[in-house]
Amino acid sequence: MEENNFNDMKKKNTDEKGNWIKVGLSTCGIAAGAKDVFDTLVFEKEKKNLNIEIKRCGCAGMCYAEPLVEVFIEGMPRVIYGRVDKSAAIEIINRHVCSKELVNDHIYDIKEK
Amino acid sequence: MANKKIVLIKDTGLGDKIKEYYSLFLKSVREENLQDQVQVVRAADLGVYNKGVVVKIVPGNIIYAHVTAEQIHEIVVQSLKKNNVIKELAINVSDKQQRIVLRNCGVVDPENIDDYINVDGYQALKKILSSYTPEKVVEELKVSGLRGRGGGGFPTWMKWNFARNIAADQKYIICNADEGDPGAYMDRSVLEGDPHAILEGMIIAGFTVGASKGFLYIRAEYPLAIKRIDKAIIQAQEKGFLGKNILNSGFDFDLEIRLGAGAFVCGEETALIASIEGKRGYPSPRPPYPSVSGLWRKPTVINNVETFANVPVIFLRGGNWYSQIGSSTSKGTKVFALTGKVRNSSLIEVPMGITLREIVFDIGGGVLDGKKIKAVQTGGPSGGVIPEELLDTPVDYENLQKLGSIMGSGGMIVMDEDDCMVDIAKFYINFCVDESCGKCSPCRIGGYQMYKYLEKISQGRASFEDLEKLESICNATKRASLCGLGQTAPNPILSTMKYFQQEYREHIANKKCRAGKCVDLLEYKILQDKCKKCGVCFRNCPTGAISGNNKEGFIIDVSKCVKCGKCYEVCKFDAVVRE
Repeated sequence: MEENNFNDMKKKNTDEKGNWIKVGLSTCGIAAGAKDVFDTLVFEKEKKNLNIEIKRCGCAGMCYAEPLVEVFIEGMPRVIYGRVDKSAAIEIINRHVCSKELVNDHIYDIKEK
Repeated sequence: MANKKIVLIKDTGLGDKIKEYYSLFLKSVREENLQDQVQVVRAADLGVYNKGVVVKIVPGNIIYAHVTAEQIHEIVVQSLKKNNVIKELAINVSDKQQRIVLRNCGVVDPENIDDYINVDGYQALKKILSSYTPEKVVEELKVSGLRGRGGGGFPTWMKWNFARNIAADQKYIICNADEGDPGAYMDRSVLEGDPHAILEGMIIAGFTVGASKGFLYIRAEYPLAIKRIDKAIIQAQEKGFLGKNILNSGFDFDLEIRLGAGAFVCGEETALIASIEGKRGYPSPRPPYPSVSGLWRKPTVINNVETFANVPVIFLRGGNWYSQIGSSTSKGTKVFALTGKVRNSSLIEVPMGITLREIVFDIGGGVLDGKKIKAVQTGGPSGGVIPEELLDTPVDYENLQKLGSIMGSGGMIVMDEDDCMVDIAKFYINFCVDESCGKCSPCRIGGYQMYKYLEKISQGRASFEDLEKLESICNATKRASLCGLGQTAPNPILSTMKYFQQEYREHIANKKCRAGKCVDLLEYKILQDKCKKCGVCFRNCPTGAISGNNKEGFIIDVSKCVKCGKCYEVCKFDAVVRE
């Protein structure tokens, strides 16, 4: 593979910006119900026609707080929610994504840019 | 609405003041007319424990501990309105973790190679293929000080260099992903969370030693890990990181997955190699070591998942950078699966040289239910226990070995007062008896005899002479066994006997188990003066061992009692006692 191609490949990815939600979908997360949370988030996103990407990622390490959901909305810090169930997932969409307000009782970490 | 200040509050003490503090904060914020610039949120965890009500303010990451209701207004005025830090209340919280192996876990999509490339993935490979000779790779690894993360801690550069220096028509790279220690799941998380980092490490190893073929030996119990590695291999082949003429360098390398059927002994390198060859998973004597004569008698480098995941970072940031992290003999970081009686069961990565106390209390948040910590077990069935008084020992390969334990692959189980050390030793030796392949007699027979002696002790039938016999069998098994499984199987017994001798003696002399785990030494009784005759124990007893009525009270029939402890749990008046 040519060197140029390789750099292009990298550039294309860093250009991607915007709002996203990541759900920890490793064995530990799935066992705690992350698959349901993921499906709920995707369903709510489509229902509300939101401009947000729902992604999958590996285990972030905080096993005691699975399922973990990380949310990034432009202009807000990255927030890691833990022990997310279906109703918390809906609240994340309604409150955090739609009205940019953090959700109570589920925050496990917050990361400034 | 965005760019608001965020106030996170959490009661980290035992009380439940959070609702009250939440409304006090809201009230203060409204009084100061800040409601459009500030949001108050109840957090679930702030990484600070046992420090009363904790308040964290973002941006700025200011953390206040032991906050009282009277101070709330001051915090709102000073820190939210005027942006001052109240020095008397502020505490410094440093993150003790350092993520190198887990750098991408929870960050990238493991099923998408572009995500990995986006975080400098395959850059180390590219750098090496375009500007490094194999000698230089080995040199850089030597500078980094990386040692095998499977538990033994053999310097990785030496292993690679042995295989590199031998002339052979074919050499192999194997990734040992046969993780079998009870309570350990570090490798699974890396395989599932960042599969490409492992592939990249393996490809670099292949280039260094001159191998064109590699195998990932993954246990079949990890279906998701297998699926993700499989996908990663296909994606890497499509992008030209695997296959013929990788990145136009003329170097060929390909990978295959081999599934392990879950035998613990197959984590031992010679047994693993036999298993890949299609033979029964029996270990064989070393030397010759696999780096000289391994898979199909060809030079083979066999490393653990975590070791390979370290490799790309070392070449991206330099061996010198890596060698700055960790202790004098053990460089870099180590991933641990922190489990057991700890508040935050989690997968952590810490620099070597951190103390066990920091791990358990600062990262793990302390012991569950505020109980007293008794010991920490490291290294699974091959490791030992480290008692509370030695928790300030810095964690590295040498220190743990000195204490009679081992680093192991990274299981770390916290034990409290309710854990019986004889029972723990029995559990681990039982595991090793089950998993012994039976090829050599010290392990096959010795293991079983050790188990029998421990059973005798836990049933109160043993004498002090038995204790001596047990110790001599331990030492013999350690010396005479063929492979690592048998050589290390006595470690849990020897270390518990060393540090908790008193507990063993109590089992033998007084026929008592202070933790209440050895059921044969227990007896449940109802204290008649404390009993309120409510009958809840009577209704909950599964075997009908409790008789009586609400007027005359209740008694336990010892001959029918199975010592399940149900009555002990359900009694609200502490009238049921365990002796």
